[in-house]
Amino acid sequence: MEIGYYPGCSLHASSKLYDVQTKDVLSRIGIELSEIEDWNCCGATSVGKQDDFLAIALPARNLGIADATGLSEILIPCSSCYSRTLVSQKTLEGNPELKAEINAELAKKVEGKIKISNILEVLQSKTAEIKEKAVKKLTGLKPVCYYGCLLSRFPSDMPVSDSVENPVAMEGLLKSIGAAPLDWGYKTDCCGASASVNDADTALRLMSKIFKDAIARDANCFVTTCPMCQLNLDAYQDEVSKKYGITKKLPVYFITELIGVSMGISFDQLQIDRHFTDAMGLLKELKLL
Amino acid sequence: MSTSTLKYSAETSNALLKEVMDRSGQNLMSCYQCRRCASGCPVGEETGVTPDRLVRMILLGEKEDALNNLLVWKCVACYTCGTRCPNNIHTSRINETLKQMSKEAHAKPLLLKVAAFHSAFMKSISHFGRSNELEFMGLYQMENVKKGGLSALIADIKSLSKLGIAMLRKKRMHFKLDKTKGRSEITALYNRSAKRQGPKE
Repeated sequence: MEIGYYPGCSLHASSKLYDVQTKDVLSRIGIELSEIEDWNCCGATSVGKQDDFLAIALPARNLGIADATGLSEILIPCSSCYSRTLVSQKTLEGNPELKAEINAELAKKVEGKIKISNILEVLQSKTAEIKEKAVKKLTGLKPVCYYGCLLSRFPSDMPVSDSVENPVAMEGLLKSIGAAPLDWGYKTDCCGASASVNDADTALRLMSKIFKDAIARDANCFVTTCPMCQLNLDAYQDEVSKKYGITKKLPVYFITELIGVSMGISFDQLQIDRHFTDAMGLLKELKLL
Repeated sequence: MSTSTLKYSAETSNALLKEVMDRSGQNLMSCYQCRRCASGCPVGEETGVTPDRLVRMILLGEKEDALNNLLVWKCVACYTCGTRCPNNIHTSRINETLKQMSKEAHAKPLLLKVAAFHSAFMKSISHFGRSNELEFMGLYQMENVKKGGLSALIADIKSLSKLGIAMLRKKRMHFKLDKTKGRSEITALYNRSAKRQGPKE
């Protein structure tokens, strides 16, 4: 089955590992990703604070390209890109004037027909295949699933497949490959996103609460689907721990990474050695690598 | 924010309210101050002003305070307030509108780095169609100097270089410049947006 693929800037740069894992894991369960050609940045979190027109128009250009492929579905793994693109499509559906105005500038016009899916929706549709390919059960892994903000909450009403306050898709997938995900209180709380760069005190404080709750629940790792959340919890964990007197360190995995491990894909192929907070030790300890 | 006695003028408050409502797409008049937004706001405890207070401030026409409070500048756009609001008011959208209004009024942003970051990000996309971390960080620091002077730059470069070194070591740094070929379309969209906003003052 071939579906469209929009990696976004993160998956081409600091979170290249997520791109590599996503393609690898999905190809093993019968999904070939076809990256849409010549895509542009969706505008991410900045565009809403700067320009309401571009917040709809930048993702619209990608939607036009995606519609022109004739494919019925497109995967957007990054939560921020997913949110921006979905909001753009739904806004244009209800605003033909704006759609015409934007289309006037585009070589490939937005039709609005392609189905936009996040990574959990795509993986969930293949739960049986994932289970079947799981040669290693992730016994001993006690993750807390971290969904962050943009996968479930939107600036306007959007149709979403999971619960807004208590999403469970990630837990379901991890259980199916033998992990024991824990219940906790911060699964949809904010990590601060770009505040880690432009308002560090705020971001570090928000992350400290996330770390403290995960540790109090006796989790041994985080699992996430968002490259921004992953980078924040991973790269700033040292700093947060120092500032808030937290002694325990927890690896921050992408969901694709753990599914990849269960499929027996090697660590260097999955690039698990590219984490800021050690992510290899736990998997070795549990004899999963 | 100031705590001066209220100077209410129906005329100015209506103008502010209308502009914020039109641009943010939020119906501020349906707020009945239940404070569900405040209880879920992750930055509320340090901003003092919570979403419900901001809405009230705008209704009362306190423009200067509405543009210059920590909530507007520290809002992480997590959309919790709007998701939980019984009247579907997304204060994060209001915060975005107020940041835009502050920029248009050439007001000094309360948090310089926040303004510099988002402005640099949009500039970066206008150049190549995609965000390239190194180029973006360069632009961000230029904006930082422009807005906050050299001391702002020095303070920031220390923490950023720490992240940069860690990224290099973990092979998370990306050196190739990622570009969109159809940049003329991106430029056309930027131009159209500028045209919609009317001539620059």
